[in-house]
Amino acid sequence: MNEYMIIGQYVPGNSFVHRIDPRTKITIIFFFVIFVFFANSVGSYGILTAFALITTFITRIPLKFILKGLTPVWFLIIFTFSLHLIVTKDGTVLFNLFGWEIYSGGVIQGVAISLRFFLLILFTSLLTLTTTPIEITDAIEDMLAPLNKIKFPVHELALMMSISLRFIPTLMQETEKISKAQSSRGVDFRTGPLKERIKAVVPLLVPLFVSAFKRAEELAMAMEARGYRGGEGRTKLRLLKIQSIDIWVYLLFTCVIIGLFLLRTY
Amino acid sequence: MDITFKDVSYIYQENSPFAHKALDNISFHITSGSFVAIIGHTGSGKSTLLQHLNGLVKPTKGEVTIGDYHLSNDKKIRNIKELRSKVGIVFQYPEHQLFEETVEKDIAFGPENFGVEKSEIQSRIQEILPAVGLPKEMLERSPFDLSGGQMRRVAIAGVLAVKPKVLVLDEPTAGLDPRGQKEIMDMFYDLHQKQGLTTVLVTHSMEDAVKYADHVIILNKGNKYMEGKPEEVLSDQKALNKVNLDVPEMIQFLLAFEKRFGMKIPYERQSVQKLAVQMQHLLKGAES
Ligand SMILES: Nc1ncnc2c1ncn2[C@@H]1O[C@H](COP(=O)(O)OP(=O)(O)OP(=O)(O)O)[C@@H](O)[C@H]1O
Ligand SMILES: [Mg+2]
Repeated sequence: MNEYMIIGQYVPGNSFVHRIDPRTKITIIFFFVIFVFFANSVGSYGILTAFALITTFITRIPLKFILKGLTPVWFLIIFTFSLHLIVTKDGTVLFNLFGWEIYSGGVIQGVAISLRFFLLILFTSLLTLTTTPIEITDAIEDMLAPLNKIKFPVHELALMMSISLRFIPTLMQETEKISKAQSSRGVDFRTGPLKERIKAVVPLLVPLFVSAFKRAEELAMAMEARGYRGGEGRTKLRLLKIQSIDIWVYLLFTCVIIGLFLLRTY
Repeated sequence: MDITFKDVSYIYQENSPFAHKALDNISFHITSGSFVAIIGHTGSGKSTLLQHLNGLVKPTKGEVTIGDYHLSNDKKIRNIKELRSKVGIVFQYPEHQLFEETVEKDIAFGPENFGVEKSEIQSRIQEILPAVGLPKEMLERSPFDLSGGQMRRVAIAGVLAVKPKVLVLDEPTAGLDPRGQKEIMDMFYDLHQKQGLTTVLVTHSMEDAVKYADHVIILNKGNKYMEGKPEEVLSDQKALNKVNLDVPEMIQFLLAFEKRFGMKIPYERQSVQKLAVQMQHLLKGAES
């Protein structure tokens, strides 16, 4: 089990970023993702990187923890970097690496693309790291509410999302438990020929599915027993409300965007 | 096999905001062939401790020795499979590990993985079924069609079929009916004595601890809180109450008896009938 898997994980806290309205966070992230693709100079990349790093700092979640948790993503970043390094043939030849000529353009391209990738991943993980799954789904339900007019089942979609998000950690725990139990019965998940290892997954998956179905059934029954009958007329325990900090966040972000376009080269 | 914990600490998700110290500097020794009960409030680290016994987790700090096998953070264990064939663990709610099409196949799964011969597995199954209280007809059924209690018995049979030298039990009777609880515990105790097993039992039942164990270890928030002979450790009412545990009823009764009549009856695992006779003798003697 990878204990450091942080994609989708929430780290409880009470920082400024934790307190921003989830709708604000989603909006900002949406535009951040778009604007990352507009960056094309040292200055504009610098501004976005600084913005992402400062936000991370404000969350009070150790950067080291986040970086470590993104291990699978690192492979992708290194892979894209190497690809650009080898394939791009712009600019001057810098040096020779095992018979490959490395061009200055390749280095610049590689760094730019990897940085872009890194910023996207870092910034989007900040959302799940600082926002509870419930808040995220509430925000999505609220933001999609206009679609109700065309009979789009917004509430059901949000409910499905929150249930799936809620059960990811539970399923991971269950997987760990069952894999430990089967390891004790002599199953080897780590070594041996590939065919054997694929076969070893069966004793893991069958109990996992059985318990997932059982859990789903019990959850449905418990919800009905407590009078759940869909979204119509249902009120909310937590009301989302735009506060002054959200206004400040929007203002600040607008400044960042203006800075970005000023520093962009054409 | 002797089991030794030396200054063992275990931290879940080390180096993250979720880091949690589940075991803190624990040391103890279990002699080969003894029956040890591990007791503690929920979350005190019992299950975590058990997972060290067959190398499912490695101590973050310190060293665990089981027979000739050494586990520590910096060393890779060789022959971990061999160790696992010698240490059988019945997990909390073991019925969740069933997956085969038939009960028979599920029981045979463990021994097959450890390379036991087919004919030998068959004879072991024939031997174990009556011991765990399952009728032969059940072998052909799907484990998923059974009741919870029957599933539990199948899972236990699957662990016993490996014939481990050390038997580790994590609340094996939780959620069974009282009669079933007694049957299963008596079966484990019988095996323990007949095959000279080393048995480690995690339990919430003080009655079971005092009835079966020759040694108890009490955990509290990842620390070893008390250790010693059950009749001594489990009669210390004050210390036990401090960590949300109770003195077993039998001992409570003996303590109350002593207080009321000023006569001490030592607890030596006597049955209720035997105790009644002892009391009768004592009280009659006092009258005359
Ligand atoms: N996989 C895990 N990741 C993180 N923390 C864990 C994990 N498993 C257990 N813990 C924590 O470690 C502590 C000890 O857990 P453990 O399961 O060993 O308790 P226990 O004594 O067996 O309790 P119970 O009597 O309820 O079974 C608990 O506080 C628990 O929250
Ligand atoms: Mg436990």
